[in-house]
Amino acid sequence: MKPAASVLLLTTATGFGFGLLAWLGAYCAVGFLPTHARLFVAAGVGISLALISLGLGASVFHLERKERAWRAFSQWRSSWLSREGIAGVLSYPVAIAFALALWRDEPPLWTRLLGVVLVLVSLGTVYCTAMIYASLKPIRQWHNAHTAADYLIYAVFSGAVLYALLNTVAHGTAGTVASVAAVTSAGIALLAKRAYWRHIDAQAPLATLAAAIGMPGGAEARALDAPHFTENFVLRQMGFSIARRHAKKLRRIALAIGFALPLACSVLAGCALLPLATASLAVLCAGGGLLLERWLFFAEATHVAAVYYGRKI
Amino acid sequence: MTMLPERPAGAKRLGLVIDLDTCVGCHACAVNCKEWNTGGEAAILPDYDKHGPEPDGVWFNRIHSYETNSGGCSRTVNFPRSCLHCEDALCVTVCPTGASYKRVEDGIVLVDTDKCIGCQLCSWACPYGARELDENAGVMRKCTLCIDRIYDEKLPPAEREPACVATCPSRARHFGDLADPDSEVSKLVEARGGVDLLAGLGYRPTNKYLPPRRATIPTPPVQPATASGKGLSAALLGLLDKALSR
Repeated sequence: MKPAASVLLLTTATGFGFGLLAWLGAYCAVGFLPTHARLFVAAGVGISLALISLGLGASVFHLERKERAWRAFSQWRSSWLSREGIAGVLSYPVAIAFALALWRDEPPLWTRLLGVVLVLVSLGTVYCTAMIYASLKPIRQWHNAHTAADYLIYAVFSGAVLYALLNTVAHGTAGTVASVAAVTSAGIALLAKRAYWRHIDAQAPLATLAAAIGMPGGAEARALDAPHFTENFVLRQMGFSIARRHAKKLRRIALAIGFALPLACSVLAGCALLPLATASLAVLCAGGGLLLERWLFFAEATHVAAVYYGRKI
Repeated sequence: MTMLPERPAGAKRLGLVIDLDTCVGCHACAVNCKEWNTGGEAAILPDYDKHGPEPDGVWFNRIHSYETNSGGCSRTVNFPRSCLHCEDALCVTVCPTGASYKRVEDGIVLVDTDKCIGCQLCSWACPYGARELDENAGVMRKCTLCIDRIYDEKLPPAEREPACVATCPSRARHFGDLADPDSEVSKLVEARGGVDLLAGLGYRPTNKYLPPRRATIPTPPVQPATASGKGLSAALLGLLDKALSR
């Protein structure tokens, strides 16, 4: 599948934003937020909403008819894309209400309840985004149980390193809890990515060319003449492929930059070793690595329709 | 709404039956489809770089040619590929705007180009690659089963069929109601063992493909020579025997 820059930016930036919102909400719900944290929370919510706006804004650029984008909120009964839009927009008032409640020192019962709602709406939106891909049956690398779990894991991981950086900027230290959260989630994310790659490497293609054109079982087929000599829309979108040896190399780079380096940096930040530098590096590496990981998520995905052109799926 | 409709009892399921045995791969169906639909009720079907080195454009019907060993011998199979108007059309349910829909009364899957935002998710959801983006209008386009022909009462009844069916010179394309077991198309599917493409994915396509028949040309068994002996006379007698026993 063709990796479109707008979609890569959408899923990565909103992952950071909703991940940070989820951590803020969760820490508040269990009473782990630092005392007198009104400015800290306001800054965290502001950064999250900025990242989410960047992502959602980028996604609108993916549309051919941007002026009709409002129509995308109507089909929530069947469409995960519609649900993503509604959940994403709903997260703004919830996040703002959460920040305001903490700013005004509302009673803990009220702020904790808002924290729980914030966790639900943030992770819910990430889940909707993931399900857009996971629900597409023609793409075996997406239509599996890994996709939704992985998107949630990467959002929680990117939110955790961002929270640790925010803590470092605000309080001079990442703090034990935030550091343990960042290190643990980086480790889980690394394992999840490796498990995903093992899974898709072991999958069989969805169909052979002979089966796709309705030939009886056991028959073989090869493409003689394509319907057209130049690439059309279907081949540009669904026929994108990447050389296997390049993918292998990029996978190693993504694992190192996106997961291993942030893990190591978070350990150092937790040990108060140049905390600001190491926590910043963790966020930068996670951002770059996750963008590359997301690029591979698209580039390595094959669409069954490409088999009609004799492409490998 | 992009929810799939409940098909009421007795509702039609209009679609095509494509005979891979008789299709000669002439592309006439694709050309007539393009011709009809670029001048039909809907907007123009665009072409890009028409006279340049990379011509491209939107076509609802694409004709592939394959070589297979099905039926015990090597053969060419020509394969027209277009929207199959699936019962479980994922292209419809993923649509966030309601632009993609399946008609209750006849099962035809259509795009309302006034509502489409061009997110292209429906094209990802289609395993048959049947939807193509109109890059000029920024909306998705697809086969309409020539809805502006099949119901047009100004046309003589014999012409109320899709353009691809009307033009096929080898009569490899058939149009009808696949919900009615007594229709000509249903009987054809029954008699020839018509198949669903990629049935395992569960889209339940309406269009059916008839696989090529076994290519066995009957040849009489070789007759052993009845005349015995050697020499010219025996050979002549043998020839005579062969000629007479035809």
